[in-house]
Amino acid sequence: MSRFSGWRGDVLVALIAFSLVAALSLGVGSHALIDFIIRLGIFGLLALSLNLLIGTAGLVSFGHAAFFGSGAYAFGLLMQSGGWSVPAAVLAALTGSALLALVIGVLCVRLSEIYFAFLTLAFQMLIHSMVISWVSLTGGDQGLMGGIPKPPFLGVELARPAHLALFSAFCLALSAVLLRQVIRSPFGVALRMLRDNPQRAAFLGLSVFRYRLGAFVIAGTFAGLAGVLMALYVSGAFPTFLYWTTSGEALFMIMLGGIGTFLGPILGAAVFLFLSDRISGFTEHHGLFFGAILLLLVLGLRKGMLDWAVDAWRARGKGRGV
Amino acid sequence: MMLKTHPGGPSRRGILMASAGLGAVAVTGFPMIASGQGRRPIRIGMPTILSGRVAQLGISSRDAVLMEVDKFNAEGGLDGRPIEMIIRDSRGVPAEAARLAREMISDGVDILFDGEPSSGGFAVHEVVRETGTLTLHINTETSAMSADPRQRFWNAFRVARQGIHDSVAGGVYAAEIVKARNLRRWMTISPDYAYGRDTTAEFVEYLRYFTPDVQVVGETWPKLFQPDYTENVTRLAQGRPQAVYSCLWAGDLVAFVEQAALYGLFSQSQYFAVNMADYTTLKQIKQLPRGVHSGNRYLSSYPPQPANAAFARDYNRRFNNYPTNWAWQAATAVHLTTAALKKVGGTDPRQLAAALKGLTIDSPFGADGKVTMRAEDQTLVGYAIGWGTTIPTEPYVEGIQTANWSQIFQLEQEWKKGKGWA
Repeated sequence: MSRFSGWRGDVLVALIAFSLVAALSLGVGSHALIDFIIRLGIFGLLALSLNLLIGTAGLVSFGHAAFFGSGAYAFGLLMQSGGWSVPAAVLAALTGSALLALVIGVLCVRLSEIYFAFLTLAFQMLIHSMVISWVSLTGGDQGLMGGIPKPPFLGVELARPAHLALFSAFCLALSAVLLRQVIRSPFGVALRMLRDNPQRAAFLGLSVFRYRLGAFVIAGTFAGLAGVLMALYVSGAFPTFLYWTTSGEALFMIMLGGIGTFLGPILGAAVFLFLSDRISGFTEHHGLFFGAILLLLVLGLRKGMLDWAVDAWRARGKGRGV
Repeated sequence: MMLKTHPGGPSRRGILMASAGLGAVAVTGFPMIASGQGRRPIRIGMPTILSGRVAQLGISSRDAVLMEVDKFNAEGGLDGRPIEMIIRDSRGVPAEAARLAREMISDGVDILFDGEPSSGGFAVHEVVRETGTLTLHINTETSAMSADPRQRFWNAFRVARQGIHDSVAGGVYAAEIVKARNLRRWMTISPDYAYGRDTTAEFVEYLRYFTPDVQVVGETWPKLFQPDYTENVTRLAQGRPQAVYSCLWAGDLVAFVEQAALYGLFSQSQYFAVNMADYTTLKQIKQLPRGVHSGNRYLSSYPPQPANAAFARDYNRRFNNYPTNWAWQAATAVHLTTAALKKVGGTDPRQLAAALKGLTIDSPFGADGKVTMRAEDQTLVGYAIGWGTTIPTEPYVEGIQTANWSQIFQLEQEWKKGKGWA
């Protein structure tokens, strides 16, 4: 078993999960399921990347959607300019998001708690305003129009929803494995120490600034990948992608699924999307029903769903004297 | 005792007998069900905004569609096939509109009515570009959607008024007032986003086209949904313009008019507010100033046709509310769709698209009693555009002058050439 306890185990779990999703989406072939998988890939990745900051580094960012949006716009603009293959444009969009995260991070991560949260929010709104105002490049409030070309690469045709679902699931699985390694690494351990006791970490000689900046850039890059997937999904990019409500939704997914468990944000995203879709199917009072259900869940469990389940499982184990 | 192996449970023979009996009752007692199996309803999906600040418009779009669809169904539908509407709330989020459109297409709708404004409209546009679903955009007014050849494809149609048509009509009307009253000094106050800036630029362009010596001496750009207009009102008061143009709309226009009236601005200058004549605005302003020039968004008195008045009356009776610009557009989408369905006799999207191209129908909202789905760019033309001045009581706008469509066509063509689209 020890052969599968480290990164090999993560890869194995990711492979099994990806194969299951592939079998489901290709076997069942339901359009609704394929759509759900695409969106789970997008929002699962966004929430997972944000949880690196919140759960691991203890930095509550309200401006995470800035990188989601920058990934979407960068990818969309590159593909519309022509001459870019999908993988090259994805890499360039991720580099762009990483650079943006570096610049914003340098200014934000020196602060902590509420000051950090509000400065990230301020930067996000600044970028949102720039996107709205720079009409000639971004299309302003109407977004990037005219569609995003999706030339096939390596036999993958992203214009076909089934292929996009597999691509989306692959990106989520790969990112989850990578993020898990980040959290497990000495770097991740240091981040947790910074979260729990930054003074002690500083006295031990760790650079609080560098570690936090590293986490901020990594989280921003993966949020950029989520943005790329979103741009592929809706064949465009819109200012709502980098509005504070998108950051808020990602935060809520994490709260719903669980901060303390690695896969909590993905479960949170799945429950959030499932509930949201079902509710808009039967009522126009979406917010009222959605809010009420989420309130009940949060008040009832008092923690994220997966955190609650893991705690319940452990308590059960202790009860048995295991 | 061998016979009673399953005491109390139904026997296989019993079940078979009961099934046969039920089947017989179904076929003989409910012949409509039996024969209706092959008569699947025609399903039309419609994402629109049913919650939030713009909900009033989305709800009016939905209501108008339901009212006209009920009429079509009551008349027997398409050879007994009724239309079934599937209407969902996008909450004004483009990505959600795109998702809903995909979901509806996945669920097998035959046709899509896109009830989104431009932002969500373009998102849905991209979805149906891929899926090839027959789609009628019923609230997207941004001209580029049909004017720009890169945005066009066979299965997308626009059944809505268009920015460029309104700008030409407004420019022609304003130019006559300018000449008659010698109004040279202009200012503008419009919302600070793409629609506000584009529409204002187009209006000024056509105003200058007809009266080149007009000067715009100042501009002020309030934010969208801004609650306080003191700063903008002060600028207008200081600028002392002879005329003011505005494309503020709905709640923003109401707030501006009420605040500007306190400063007596409407007695100092001639106001041209393109979006004033819609009941969402007219009914909300407590003291509607007299003499504001406005284009018609929707008025029951214009076009002055019995069918239009009847539409407003029916709508008001059923929903206890007034139709809006989004309502007449939605009703027109149903009229065009049902006309195409009858022409084709089925729901094949290619055949329906071919039938819609160039289709002219009688319409309560037509400038001359008809509207046309123009074949070359698959957009609605011939709808009634008129400008008049406000009065404080019903019918709220008087002296409406009807825009000349041949002039609109000519200038629209020149505008397209200027953009490299024609």
